[in-house]
Amino acid sequence: MLKGSMAIWLRDMLILRRSIFSELFAVVAYPLTIYMAFGIGMQGYIGLVDGAPYSLFIAPGLITMTAVNAAYNESVWSLWFHRRVQFTIESYRVTPVSVSEIVIAKIFTGFTHGIIKGCAVGLVIFSITPFRFPIENLLQYFLFLIPGSALFSCAGIISGTIMDKPETIGKVEAVLVMPLIFMSGLFFPLSSYPQPFISWVRLLPTTALFEGARSALIAGEMLSVSALQVTLSAIITFIMAVYIFRYKMSE
Amino acid sequence: MSTASIVTRSLTKSYSSLTALDSFNLEVDRGSIFGMLGPNGAGKTTLIRILTTLMRQSSGEASIEGFDTLLSGREIRRVIGVVSQENSLDRYLTARENLELHARLHGMERRFYKTRIDELLELMGLTGRQQDFPDTFSGGMQRRLVIARALVHKPQVLFLDEPTTGLDPQSRRTVWEYVRSLAGSMTIFLTTHYLEEAEHLCDRIAIMDHGRLITVGSIQELKDRLSGATIYEIEFSGDGATHYAALLGSMSCVMNISRMENKVTVTLECWECLSEIVTALNGAPVRRILLKERTLEDVFISLTGKKVRE
Ligand SMILES: Nc1ncnc2c1ncn2[C@@H]1O[C@H](COP(=O)(O)OP(=O)(O)OP(=O)(O)O)[C@@H](O)[C@H]1O
Ligand SMILES: [Mg+2]
Repeated sequence: MLKGSMAIWLRDMLILRRSIFSELFAVVAYPLTIYMAFGIGMQGYIGLVDGAPYSLFIAPGLITMTAVNAAYNESVWSLWFHRRVQFTIESYRVTPVSVSEIVIAKIFTGFTHGIIKGCAVGLVIFSITPFRFPIENLLQYFLFLIPGSALFSCAGIISGTIMDKPETIGKVEAVLVMPLIFMSGLFFPLSSYPQPFISWVRLLPTTALFEGARSALIAGEMLSVSALQVTLSAIITFIMAVYIFRYKMSE
Repeated sequence: MSTASIVTRSLTKSYSSLTALDSFNLEVDRGSIFGMLGPNGAGKTTLIRILTTLMRQSSGEASIEGFDTLLSGREIRRVIGVVSQENSLDRYLTARENLELHARLHGMERRFYKTRIDELLELMGLTGRQQDFPDTFSGGMQRRLVIARALVHKPQVLFLDEPTTGLDPQSRRTVWEYVRSLAGSMTIFLTTHYLEEAEHLCDRIAIMDHGRLITVGSIQELKDRLSGATIYEIEFSGDGATHYAALLGSMSCVMNISRMENKVTVTLECWECLSEIVTALNGAPVRRILLKERTLEDVFISLTGKKVRE
């Protein structure tokens, strides 16, 4: 049944392969700048955060941020482009491939972009900075990175399905996606929030993602509830993405 | 099995307040080339979108090769090829990769589609450009590539939505040749604004406007319905136009006459009347006489008594 999805995903991977160097270069530049500015530049002023040097504290978040951002961006722009500009989605839809297969392929593409780009940033940070973590922690970290990338890819698909104008996509990213990522304890521990706020912020799947990812990678501690929260959110968003896309296509 | 490949019964599509297709009844014979003529906004694309399962009708039925569009979408999509009005090529894939992706979406295996694609590229004259990206192609080449893509899986029914709009006359003729070369091997349903195109390619033609089917028939039948009337435009030099317009207007073989400055347009009952006109114009300061080509407009006027668009 997923043969059609496979064909579309392979097409997307071919395009990614062709431009892998420029893509990686662009995607690594941003988190690396932040890492230099905050992790290294501010380190002397900040000192230890939750028992870890600040440069170590923010590193897992930067990797995770790159991954989920890449997943979201790929999904939202690719869906918009193929639907509104290039009409490729339409050309897929007059073949025996089902609408669900198309959207599943696109979700997997966004997901793959997230994982690949997250890993690339991780490698760069690992190789040019003193940031170190026990290698076995990676396994637990992936229990966050994988559903996190899936979640953001699905969210991107939903945005790219609903929004017809590129400027709307840009606004949603600036007003919703980036704040959601930044407010989830990427640069500071949740304990910095006023007490009544904390329980609200904890409800966000992004908080579970960034907190869980950090604790998995640095401390080797597995926050199972957080992992479950991210995974469940990803599953729900996946179902929503498929449903919304199908609905839009049947209009 | 019946001989009809495409059938619609009371097919209706409304977009909120606008009725884009109104109780459309149509039958297209298997293996024929069928042309749907209509001005902008007539509902041609809407009809094709419903027939190719991209869109659902509001009411009525449609079937392709016996499959209902609402119930058997996947079966229909297996047997159709579609050339949409917008260029839907993937500009990040080469010409060949565009065709390969399409073959895979149809579940074809590599050993089958490889030779098929070679054949099609050859047929469409694109073999030398197969490794290039469609962005670098001319409009006519892109159109041919889209047609090739629609043919990869050997469809039984081919839909072409305005296949030559925007092409120069020469590219248009090339596309016509390719389409003609497919005649008989599959049912072809095309839409167009150009009567000439329909005339050149189609066995049968339908004319639609405002979502309604106005007439269907073979070229000959439609021409007969146009009666023998022919239209000439006579251009005078100097100011003879007014005088001669009055003179011609009083002749019995002139059905209709109008004047725009020094140009007089006359509708004649039949072309044989032309000699009478020429006689009447003896000595007049005539600069030139033009036979006006039949246009979609003329067919419209003769069938509906009004212009295509007010
Ligand atoms: N998605 C839509 N929503 C609302 N109205 C639409 C939509 N698509 C088409 N229409 C309207 O339906 C009518 C028929 O449009 P359609 O595209 O089928 O015409 P067409 O014959 O293909 O025209 P053209 O020759 O310009 O391609 C038009 O009045 C158009 O404005
Ligand atoms: Mg159209």
